[in-house]
Amino acid sequence: MRMNPKKAQAIREFLYILPFLILVALMSYYPLYGWVYAFHDYMPPKPISSETYVGLKWFQFIVSNPVRAADVWRVLVNTFAMSGISLAFSWFPMIFAVFLNEIRCKPYQKFVQTVTTLPNFISWVLVYSVAFNVLSSTGAVNSVLTSLGLIDKPIAFLNSKEHIWFKMWLWLTWKNAGWAAIMYLAAISAIDEQMIEAAKVDGATRMQIILRITIPCILPTYFVIVMLNIANFLSNGMEQYYVFQNNFNRKTIEVLDLYVYNIATSGRGNYPLSTAISMLKSVVSVALLFITNTVSRLVRGEGFV
Amino acid sequence: MKRYLSLFLAAIMLLGLVSFSAAAEGQDLLVIDVYDDAANYNGTQTGWFAKVIKDRFNIELNIIASQVVGNTVYATRSEEGNLGDIILVDKAKFPEIVEAGLAKDISDKLPECKNIMQFKTQIDVYNKGLTGVEGKYYGIPTEMTDTAPDTLTDDVIYSSPMLRWDLYKAIGSPKLETLDDLLNALVKIHEIHPQNDDGDPAYPFTLWADWDGNDNMIGIANVVQLTTWYGEKLKGSAMLKPDYTFSPLYERENAYYKITKFLNKAYQLGLVDPDSGTQPWDTVASKLSTGRADVMWYSWQTGFWNSVDRLNAGTGFIFIPVGDQYYYADADRYYGSDRMFGIGAGVEGEKYDRIMAFLDWYASPEGATFQHDGIEGLNYIVGENGKFVPYKDNALMDNLPVPEEYGGGGFSDGNNAINQWIVSSICINPVTGERFAQKYWQSYKDMTMTEMKKEWQEMFGAEDSVAWMKQNGKLLASPSVDFTPAADNNDIIALRSDVNKCLCEYTWNLIMTCETDEDFEALWDEMVAQMDGFGYKELYEYDCGVWQPEIDAKKAAAL
Repeated sequence: MRMNPKKAQAIREFLYILPFLILVALMSYYPLYGWVYAFHDYMPPKPISSETYVGLKWFQFIVSNPVRAADVWRVLVNTFAMSGISLAFSWFPMIFAVFLNEIRCKPYQKFVQTVTTLPNFISWVLVYSVAFNVLSSTGAVNSVLTSLGLIDKPIAFLNSKEHIWFKMWLWLTWKNAGWAAIMYLAAISAIDEQMIEAAKVDGATRMQIILRITIPCILPTYFVIVMLNIANFLSNGMEQYYVFQNNFNRKTIEVLDLYVYNIATSGRGNYPLSTAISMLKSVVSVALLFITNTVSRLVRGEGFV
Repeated sequence: MKRYLSLFLAAIMLLGLVSFSAAAEGQDLLVIDVYDDAANYNGTQTGWFAKVIKDRFNIELNIIASQVVGNTVYATRSEEGNLGDIILVDKAKFPEIVEAGLAKDISDKLPECKNIMQFKTQIDVYNKGLTGVEGKYYGIPTEMTDTAPDTLTDDVIYSSPMLRWDLYKAIGSPKLETLDDLLNALVKIHEIHPQNDDGDPAYPFTLWADWDGNDNMIGIANVVQLTTWYGEKLKGSAMLKPDYTFSPLYERENAYYKITKFLNKAYQLGLVDPDSGTQPWDTVASKLSTGRADVMWYSWQTGFWNSVDRLNAGTGFIFIPVGDQYYYADADRYYGSDRMFGIGAGVEGEKYDRIMAFLDWYASPEGATFQHDGIEGLNYIVGENGKFVPYKDNALMDNLPVPEEYGGGGFSDGNNAINQWIVSSICINPVTGERFAQKYWQSYKDMTMTEMKKEWQEMFGAEDSVAWMKQNGKLLASPSVDFTPAADNNDIIALRSDVNKCLCEYTWNLIMTCETDEDFEALWDEMVAQMDGFGYKELYEYDCGVWQPEIDAKKAAAL
């Protein structure tokens, strides 16, 4: 019996996609099995069993006491604030790319682009060591200020909790802006030259060309990137905050991922509680996704998913 | 030059081959996984110590260091059912490892290990205390001594205020009665010594944050240590007072408050390194060895500065008594320190024999000499009377190259990465009749009987610091007992972690940000309220219950 060609094609096409399905199952769905630890009183070296099952105990634990609940709330506020700031400033790389594109002297443009892109490839640990050498009490800035006689006591740049959210955004931007601009530069180069020529013939100034042609043309790219950022709203990474955290700024710098990490690794480590909190994060993420999707449907008439 | 280098390398290879064939003798190379809570190095043991073991047993050590790769390795490896071939863990974990079937019953082989069994008393006491495995051997305690539970062998206790002798003399050797006197002295010392010889800033106090909350003790490790200057000792979250009663850590009459306030006053006077609180211990260690700190408080810290040359020059750190202090010290750890050796449950047959032979050697005079004294001809030489004489005592500090017969490389790089011993360094070495630790050798005492030491003895009228404390009734020596605290359950872990984080954050801010006493008191009250909010009282009650049996045993031993 011969297979019907349509069916054969379907099987073949399914085989094409199978490796990716396996990859997703292994990398994204299999780890969800680890959530089971949130429902057990797991304590190495004893493996989990029916005896260790405790139901929702660890979820209740989070809100069991007002001070601890306030602590989790503080962490959520930090996460939303820092993600919010970077979302609110997400236009920055776009504007940077537009202005970069306006530089007429090509070698200088390349130079600026290279210098701003490079930090993206430096790990946060190294970024911190740069920060430490420049800003610590015996670092470059304090040494210069002291030798000029402007201060008599070193300024504790890294030890203070003042404006930490904004400072973290500055570091993030310093590291990422150049890299993020690449996407916009590509979008700019795809703009039809004829439009710009026509505008020039009509007597448009440079500023007018930017406002009326360049920016509207790259806005779709911007929206896609914003959407991707929203999906990562809660996972704003922990490396940056991990390297910058200390006893003086932890209250305002601790984000969800870092909080989960700190719980799992401080002292003997409490794995169930840490898992429960990281699950909360997924719940909030899914909620955010639905909200964004609804907003998008209302505003643009179509959703993302 | 290149030719010599290649000849040299060829020679090393030949030497290596010769020694390898000498060691092999029918036994295959055996790689042993050592799960190690004490190690600061992860990976295969290299350098001279690797060669010492390979030549004798044809064994290679693969160190799995939880302190390096993170404590999650303990969870993942125990899930796999194999922690390691040799297991070296914190004492509190050992009972649960035995219970989970991860450690091997070594009752058949251990009695044959004559070097280890010189500590039979201690090993018996420990294994009898393990529940559910009566009459069997599972664990070998670490760093046991051959003295007695109530002896204090040290001539310097674990923690006491130590100042640089030359600086102390330069400010007129003031008599110190209180912490305020100490502050006044430190202000003067800071005035005459604002920088080290290289021009880098020096401060009386340089603190570090990465040990905070270690060993299940809540709070800043530096402050917790200094509370022993007033006869107090933190047990988990409860402060043990000199009269063997417990008191909540944050009470204002307790030493934690006193020391925090003292350090804040020091900060207000500009005596505290501004990097304290953000720098790790490694940075502090390099500051100590370059003369950027004027106060030391751990007896072993002097090892970063007090070389024989500096002692001769009179610039070493030495104990300066403060009149109102009453020093807490643990007596010799007769029953061992806070970690345990065990053998992995899956070890069988020839491998088992070879591992036990290795461990027995590890506790032998030869093994202990390598661990505590290093290499003959490098760290020490043997004098005419057969006793050891210090040779290059900066071998560890400066990573000096080791002799070719030990395979070359730096001494520190090749040092024993297991980083924990069965035989304590205060045990008597049967070969020399003197203790293993260099500071007890007659030869070392003669070398360091310097002007500085003589001046000190004259000024304080005592042989050494412990003698001074004993003469003046300022020493509280707490006897050693065999005791393993119960392991925390998850509720307590979460509670301890919250309370500890809260306490550490507030304490650092108390020390490093309060500019007036009013600020300090207000912040202290806020801290107490927060800690209570997290459930400090509950944790305190729990810890009192856990540690009471140890206190009872100590009381009984002291009678």
